[in-house]
Order: sequence, then C-alpha cells, then structure tokens
Amino acid sequence: MRAPLLLLRGLQTTLATDNGALTVVDGVDLDVREGEILGLVGESGSGKSMTLRSILRLIRPPGRVSGEILWRGRDLVPLREPEMRAIRGREIGMIFQEPMTALNPVLSVGRQILENLRAHTDLGRTARRNRTVELLDLVGIPAAAQRVNDYPHQFSGGMRQRAMIAIALASNPSLLLADEPTTALDVTIQDQILKLLLRLRETLGMAVILVTHDLGVVAQSCDRVAVMYAGRVAEIGEVSAVFAAPRHAYTLGLLQSVPDARRIRQALRPIGGAPPPPGTVGDRCAFIPRCDFATAACEVRRPPLISIGGGRLAACVHGDRLQQAEWAA
Amino acid sequence: MSSTVPTLSVAPATEPRRVWKRPPSAFILGAIITAGFLLAAIAPGLLAPYDPLAFDYDNLQVGPGAAHWFGTDNFGRDVLSRIIWASRIDIQIALFCTIPPLLIGTAVGSLVGYYGGIADTIFGRIVDLVITFPFIVLVIAIVAVLGPGLVNVYIAVTSVGWVFYARLVRSQVMVLRQADFAAAGQVMGYSAARIIFRHLLPNAMTAVIVYWMTDMALDILLGSSLGYLGLGAQPPTAEWGVLVSDGKNFMDTAWWMTVFPGAAIVVCGTGLSLLGDGVADLLAVRR
Repeated sequence: MRAPLLLLRGLQTTLATDNGALTVVDGVDLDVREGEILGLVGESGSGKSMTLRSILRLIRPPGRVSGEILWRGRDLVPLREPEMRAIRGREIGMIFQEPMTALNPVLSVGRQILENLRAHTDLGRTARRNRTVELLDLVGIPAAAQRVNDYPHQFSGGMRQRAMIAIALASNPSLLLADEPTTALDVTIQDQILKLLLRLRETLGMAVILVTHDLGVVAQSCDRVAVMYAGRVAEIGEVSAVFAAPRHAYTLGLLQSVPDARRIRQALRPIGGAPPPPGTVGDRCAFIPRCDFATAACEVRRPPLISIGGGRLAACVHGDRLQQAEWAA
Repeated sequence: MSSTVPTLSVAPATEPRRVWKRPPSAFILGAIITAGFLLAAIAPGLLAPYDPLAFDYDNLQVGPGAAHWFGTDNFGRDVLSRIIWASRIDIQIALFCTIPPLLIGTAVGSLVGYYGGIADTIFGRIVDLVITFPFIVLVIAIVAVLGPGLVNVYIAVTSVGWVFYARLVRSQVMVLRQADFAAAGQVMGYSAARIIFRHLLPNAMTAVIVYWMTDMALDILLGSSLGYLGLGAQPPTAEWGVLVSDGKNFMDTAWWMTVFPGAAIVVCGTGLSLLGDGVADLLAVRR
C-alpha cells in the first residue's frame, strides 16, 4: 500500500453566519495516498468543497477549522498564514469549477503561470518563460508558444480549464485539489480533461482529490471514492468495490438514482427528501429521515466510520442488510 | 493510457491576434486637443511667437490681427504667447492635482476594500465627512489656512481628492475580492499584497483611469478658478485663470484679454473630457 500523503482526522469546519455558527464539515476522516486519485462525491451542500477549502485553510475568520490535517505527517491546522502560503500552490495545488471566472481576465494566460513560478520557484527570467510554454504544452494547448500571450477570453472553455491546470501545476505540487473541474464543460471536453488529469497523475506522480457529483466521472477516473453526506463521510473504498456493493444506505440511494442508459423511458429513482440543514443532525445518523433501512439502532449515536474489510470503511449500522436489499429493489 | 495525449482538435489561430478597431472619433478629437496642450506645456518656447513677459508699449491692447493673433494686453504682451506659456502651469496643475490623490486613493481604497472590517468603517466615516462639504469650498478653506500659492493648492486638493479615488477603488476591489480568481490567487499561495496589487487592481483601474481624465479637466477649472480668485498661481505667472482675472477689468475695451484664455480653459477641459470618454469606450470594447 502506498504511504498516506494527507490524513484528515476529525476535520471540523464551522462558518459564522447571522444565525450563529454552522458546522459544514462535521468530523471528516480521510486519507489520500501518494499518487492516487480519490473521488469525493455527494449532493450539493454535503461539504465536499468545504472539505477541500479547509485542507488549504481557506476559511475566512470568524470561520474555524479544527481537527487534524496531517500533510506528510505535519499538522496544518496550527500553521501560521506565511507558512500556509508556502504550502498552498507549492505543495498542494487547486483548480476550480469555473475556469471562466477563476482566471484573471486582464492578465495573459502566460503571465498568470509566470506569477506562480515567481512565487514558488527560483527559476530565472528565461527559465520561467520556457517553463511556461512547457506547462501549456504539457496540458495539451496547441501551439503553446504562440498562445502564452493570449488572454483568457481568447481561450475556449476546455482550454481555460487546461490553462487553470497548467497554473496549478507550475510548481509541481504533490497533491491537486480539483473542485468539480469538469462540471462547467460539455461531455467531450470533460472526457479530455479527465484523461489529462489521469495522464498527469501518471507522469508527475501527483495525487488528486476530485470533487464531483457525477458518479460516471468517478467510475472513469478514480482509484478510490469517498461518499459524503451532511458534512460527514458515509463510506470510503475502492471505486469498483463500492459501486458493486455499497455498504451505506446513502451510497446505495445515490447509485440507484443514476439512470440506466440501456433502458428507455424508465422512471427516475431519486432519493426522497432533502439533505438536513447543517448543524441540525445531532448525535445520530444524518441520513435517517431519507433512509429506507432506518431503525431505532440508527438513532442511538452517530455511526462511526468503521473498517469493513478490503480497505473499506463505512458509517452505516445496516451495511449487511443493504446487500440483500440491493438488487431486490 | 499515458500514451494518449488529449489535445484539442482546434487549428492554432494564425490570424493577427489584436484586431485594432478604429477608436471612436470623440477619442481622436480629445487626443488631438490634449496632445496640442501637452506640446504647448512641454515646449512653449517653440510654439509661442513672442516672449510672454516682454512689454511692448507701442502695441498696448491691440486687437486680434496678423501680427498678434489673439491681440495684446494692457502691457503690450502677446496674449497667444501668454496662453501657450500658461498651458505649462495648467497642465502641471492637472497632473499635480490628480496623480498624488490617484496614488494615495488607489492604495487606501484597495486595502480597505480587500480587508474590510474596522479600517473600512473608519474610511466610511472619513468619506462621509469629506463629501458633506462641496469640494471647492473645502479646498478654498484649506488654501485659506495654508496661504495662497500653487503648492498649497496641490496640498489642499490632494488632502481632499484622494477620497474620491479611494471610494471608487474600494467598491471595485470589494466586488473583485469575491471573484474566483482572487480565491485562485490565494490557493496558489500568493501574498495578500500580490493578490491586491497585481491581480485585483488591474481589473479595477479602468474606472479609475476614466475618472482621472475627467478629474484633470475639473482640476484645470479649479486651478483657474483659484487663480482668478488670487488663491492659486500668483499674478506674474501666466496661468489661464490669472489671465482671465487680469483681463476682466478691460472687458469693454479689450475683450480678447479675457475671451481667449477663457476659451483655452474650455477647449482644454473639453479635450480631456472627450479623451476620458473615448478611453472609457475603448476599455469597454476590450472587455
């Protein structure tokens, strides 16, 4: 097994709002190994993006991050801002959902890559220029040398996302946080970007946390998947194993809600109800109101994330019952 | 897997990148007028037909004609030459009254806009305090305390004028700091200063530049008004407001002493305004 690069232990993120503190990430335990692609899935508001932002400590005060974020064995939570800046971008890169707005409209693409190189490397002027072209080339921008001086509006959506990736890669991070990088793109471009991420993982040995709500994307590109619900991790494991036999009622519901392309005119099978508002769950399973399997046992306490063999972890009391019910449904 | 290099199937664009649209005619006219006054300010000696200070008692208050296009004043000095030499002072007023406020206002505005909090609250009160008074009244009050003279005018205008630039930049930066690329900059591990000054400010400068152009026109008017009132440039110095003031006693006998310097103020101000509008259009097109 590859060594863990990043370990989250009891990660908790609280945002201050007008209605008091809201806990949006509620005790997340997660590990990311060297060079793996970990999918992070869940509905909107399940805390996927907030988990990513918390890793980089991008929560503005009075919001708070607590728990442990062990990056190569070093806890990031107590770090001061300047120390954190040395990690952001240099060791952990991040890309965003909307390449349109995440690129600065008044700086050329090449300039924005140069900025990262200036901030995080000690390359000289010409070395930086060469590296910029090299990076654009690496992410598959055709005629990179001519396009360095182009502005973001001269790029198409897919190329902007590539440029965004090139910026994030500038300083060779060991971990890339990808916050729904393909959501804003159409499927063919989406496929190209995912293949690009896979290739970069191969060639650069970089780990990726891929946040998405598209289970197809997870199946196509991730090694392992973590399912999140209401700011908690429901289940983690190898993608094939989790998809074949989910051990958390929520994962099962998610998988059943995916329409099957081979059947025509099928009824959609959504999970009824809506996720609970943050901070209203308390010490019990967060999924109870929407769960077909819920019993009194689920109310007793918050189900811990326990190992169920094969490197899998699940936080469901009724993991065993799911398997029998799964295909009967 | 690693052998399939996904590249976009788009042919590299070979046509010229920057397509220059013909600038709007307002811009061209404004640029020509402004360039003319700039030239007059830089090299008045080349353009002025006469020495602006040379008395000529044989030609007192001669009307406009072939020898003196704009006539002469009550000491026989050539009005055209005096107007040209005066541009040097008035362009200087336009720059010195706007650039320090622009720099100070931009710096303060971007900092309070980015950080918000208590600094922003204090800034808000200062803005309230300043905009309560009409600009010119405040400037005159400060000049009255410091004493007349151009340097004191610069100090007075700067101490009031920075607020307007700061207010403009603050509101822009407040919006921009929410933009994804600001978050992206943070994610890249850039320092706050780097994010503010290299990433956010270039996006905020359009409005500032347009305001700056208009502000220059207003400050020329202000400088002339103060010169007229005897608070700005002092009489031996040729300055448009001073020229108008000198000529006003001879309005019935020598109208050209007042009308031409007054026209210079109007034309220069209009030129700068047109330039400002044109720049706004050009920058809007680029977006």
